[in-house]
Amino acid sequence: MNYPFWDVPHIGSGWVIGIIAIFHIMISHFAVGGGLYLPLAERKALREGRADWLEKVRGHSKFFLILTGVFGTVSGVGIWFSIGLANPEGTSTLIHNFVFGWAIEWVLFMVELSTAVVYYYTWGRISNELHLKVGYVYAVASFLTLVIINGILGFMMMPGEPWLAVAGTGQEASRFWQAFFNPTYWPSLLLRSAVCVSLAGIWALVTCSRIDGEAEPRLKTEMVRWSAKWLLPSFLAMPFILVWYLWQVPEAQRALLQLGMSTIGTGAFTQVTRMALLMVISSVTVVGVVYFLAWRLPLSFGRAHALAVLFLGLVVTAAGEYSREMLRKPYVIGRHMYSNGVRKSDVERLNRDGYLPNSPWLPANATVLQRGEGMFRGQCMACHTVDAYRPMKRLMAGRDREAITRLLAILHDSKPDSPYKSFMPPLVGTAEEITALGDYLDSLTAPK
Amino acid sequence: MNKLIQAAYTWANERLNLDDMLHFAQKKTVPEHRHSAWYYWGGVTLFFFLVQAVSGVLLLLYYRPGPDSFESVRQITFDINFGWLIRSIHSWAANLMVLSIFVHMFSVFFMKAYRSPREFGWWSGIALLVMAMLFGFSGYLLPMNELAYFATKVGLEIPASMPVIGPVMADLVRGGLEVNEFTVQRFFALHVVVLPALFVPLLGFHLWLVQKHGNALPPSEEARPVEQRRNMPFFPNFMLRDMAMWLIALNVLAVLAAVFPWDLGQAADPLKPAPRGIHPEWYFMSQFQVLKVFGNWLPGAAGEIIGLVWFSLGMVLWCLIPLYDPNRSSGRRGRRATYFGLLALFILIVTTGWGYWATHNETLTDAQPGPAKAGAAQSPPAANPK
Repeated sequence: MNYPFWDVPHIGSGWVIGIIAIFHIMISHFAVGGGLYLPLAERKALREGRADWLEKVRGHSKFFLILTGVFGTVSGVGIWFSIGLANPEGTSTLIHNFVFGWAIEWVLFMVELSTAVVYYYTWGRISNELHLKVGYVYAVASFLTLVIINGILGFMMMPGEPWLAVAGTGQEASRFWQAFFNPTYWPSLLLRSAVCVSLAGIWALVTCSRIDGEAEPRLKTEMVRWSAKWLLPSFLAMPFILVWYLWQVPEAQRALLQLGMSTIGTGAFTQVTRMALLMVISSVTVVGVVYFLAWRLPLSFGRAHALAVLFLGLVVTAAGEYSREMLRKPYVIGRHMYSNGVRKSDVERLNRDGYLPNSPWLPANATVLQRGEGMFRGQCMACHTVDAYRPMKRLMAGRDREAITRLLAILHDSKPDSPYKSFMPPLVGTAEEITALGDYLDSLTAPK
Repeated sequence: MNKLIQAAYTWANERLNLDDMLHFAQKKTVPEHRHSAWYYWGGVTLFFFLVQAVSGVLLLLYYRPGPDSFESVRQITFDINFGWLIRSIHSWAANLMVLSIFVHMFSVFFMKAYRSPREFGWWSGIALLVMAMLFGFSGYLLPMNELAYFATKVGLEIPASMPVIGPVMADLVRGGLEVNEFTVQRFFALHVVVLPALFVPLLGFHLWLVQKHGNALPPSEEARPVEQRRNMPFFPNFMLRDMAMWLIALNVLAVLAAVFPWDLGQAADPLKPAPRGIHPEWYFMSQFQVLKVFGNWLPGAAGEIIGLVWFSLGMVLWCLIPLYDPNRSSGRRGRRATYFGLLALFILIVTTGWGYWATHNETLTDAQPGPAKAGAAQSPPAANPK
């Protein structure tokens, strides 16, 4: 509304965030889980006096440092850039509400990055005990970054009643802790911790796959199997944590899952269910493939196998994050702000006074079609593109002007029985603005 | 618990000689070399076939052939819990199965695994491919939606263009002069009774041959001295990898079914004109395009007949390859066979791509306003009304 719109053709701004985020999550969760893997592997090697283990753990720590320290941090900053551009209103709420939380998070990032560097460069230069302590400091710091960010991410799903009671009053930050420990906080923290442990195992398997099984059969067998074990706890606990998580999610959001069982509908209707199914089946596949290829045949576990497991892990992460995002619909911050940045409390005002007066980027003498496009950019473009991802051209195809008017009326009224209500924000604006949007949408499908 | 399992095993072993089977599986080896990855494609095909059988039985619970066919598939897709998933899995697995058969066939071809004594493996494999394509063709019509209706109509014009027996055959399959509910009934019988009754025993024969002759070595491995060749035990090593491949195949299937669930489209309406750019499934595209091209070049039925002869000749040569290149001492013949395979693969890919490009262009031409272009360039000869 009050900000310029970021128009990413074909894929939409949401996917820019999505692509960066999925990549980032794969690495950031590894940064947390791997933070535990490294000192535990080192401790095991020291206790058992295994120099060959130590050498491999050291090699893994280099890989770890480069991957998390370079790609993890760059993609993390990328998320900030992209969410700030794609959804400035939502980002602004997160910053204002959690100033203290972000400050803690960045301090922890600094500790995390510094200790990762110290950990790698002090191999053999300081005493084993001290080196191990550095590893533990890293592990604790990196876990605490998860503890903090988890509160903020969970808040976006469901801020909780205490915070919602003061939302829009300027007193939001006074409910910091209630917002932070929101209803999905604990299941979400457990779920993410389990994912971190799994990813530590999966990434470690990538390193282990490079050990020459013929030259070092014992080492390879032990390291591959030890790393494979890291997948087991999360696999066993995951179903229970998922059920707990869904239990905390609002009923309306859970209903989306049920809808997807009985029908494919079109588009967003059933994506949550389909992605959730994919996440479950891919998790089973990951564990199965690791069992067959790594646990049972550790010596011939090669790079291609490790990359296949990594790729499957990527599918699970992508499907999981996508379903979580879809489950939040129609909000970007549960029951407070819709996915297009419109606050729930502003709907009445915007219907009365108009939506476009809040868009100073529209020329004063804009034509009807330009005004319609302004409405599209502000209210639809967060999830739709003109011609590719959830394309308006396809969605409007076959509808005449009259049908578009009826559809927009359904979206505007957003009655309880509206099929769109569960995942689309209400369309706000005056009658004249909505007519302009209808004209614009009609022009997309009209023959040129 | 272990004692109970042991006792059960002993009881079964006394009656079924399970030890022999286990001993055979342990003794059996699979060559290990840089082309070993191609050995898994037969197993992947088998996996997709099993998925087809299970999901097909589940669809049978609700599917009603005949006039209700579209409505029953609509219910499966939109009303029944997870019906859309089973249907999507069935449709995607069908395509993946045909694709994996093609990969398996060409890998067998280029690794020269058709050579003596594996000729029957080659022939039974080709027969299984043809049957899998018929499975696909007959199953495609069953929802009786617009695309299926017109694609089947166009598809049946291919055999119908054969002289003398063509029209009779087409009428027999259609159950009349037009594609209608009787055709659905016949295709249904073909899809769930006739083809499985032929396919399953032939598949058993094919698998028995694989067990009997083992995996063939590619020429590059055959050239190595025996002591330099590496093998892995079939059980458990190869078996475990096979299982992992099956899981990955399952995951690919799940990704496709979840991200791109199979659409139902509109109910078939024979009174409506055929949509532009209608074409059969991708695995018939090559034949379709060749017939279209010959039909455009030559007048009347001559083009279609030459097209059919071209394909029939290709299939005959493809079947005769094991006789032309029977063993590793074939020398020049072996190289020629490889060139022939490369040529066949090239033609298949190019004509398939060409077919999609041509139908895409037809759709675009149709979308543009103005007088419709007349002539053969737009209408595939196979789809011309008789």
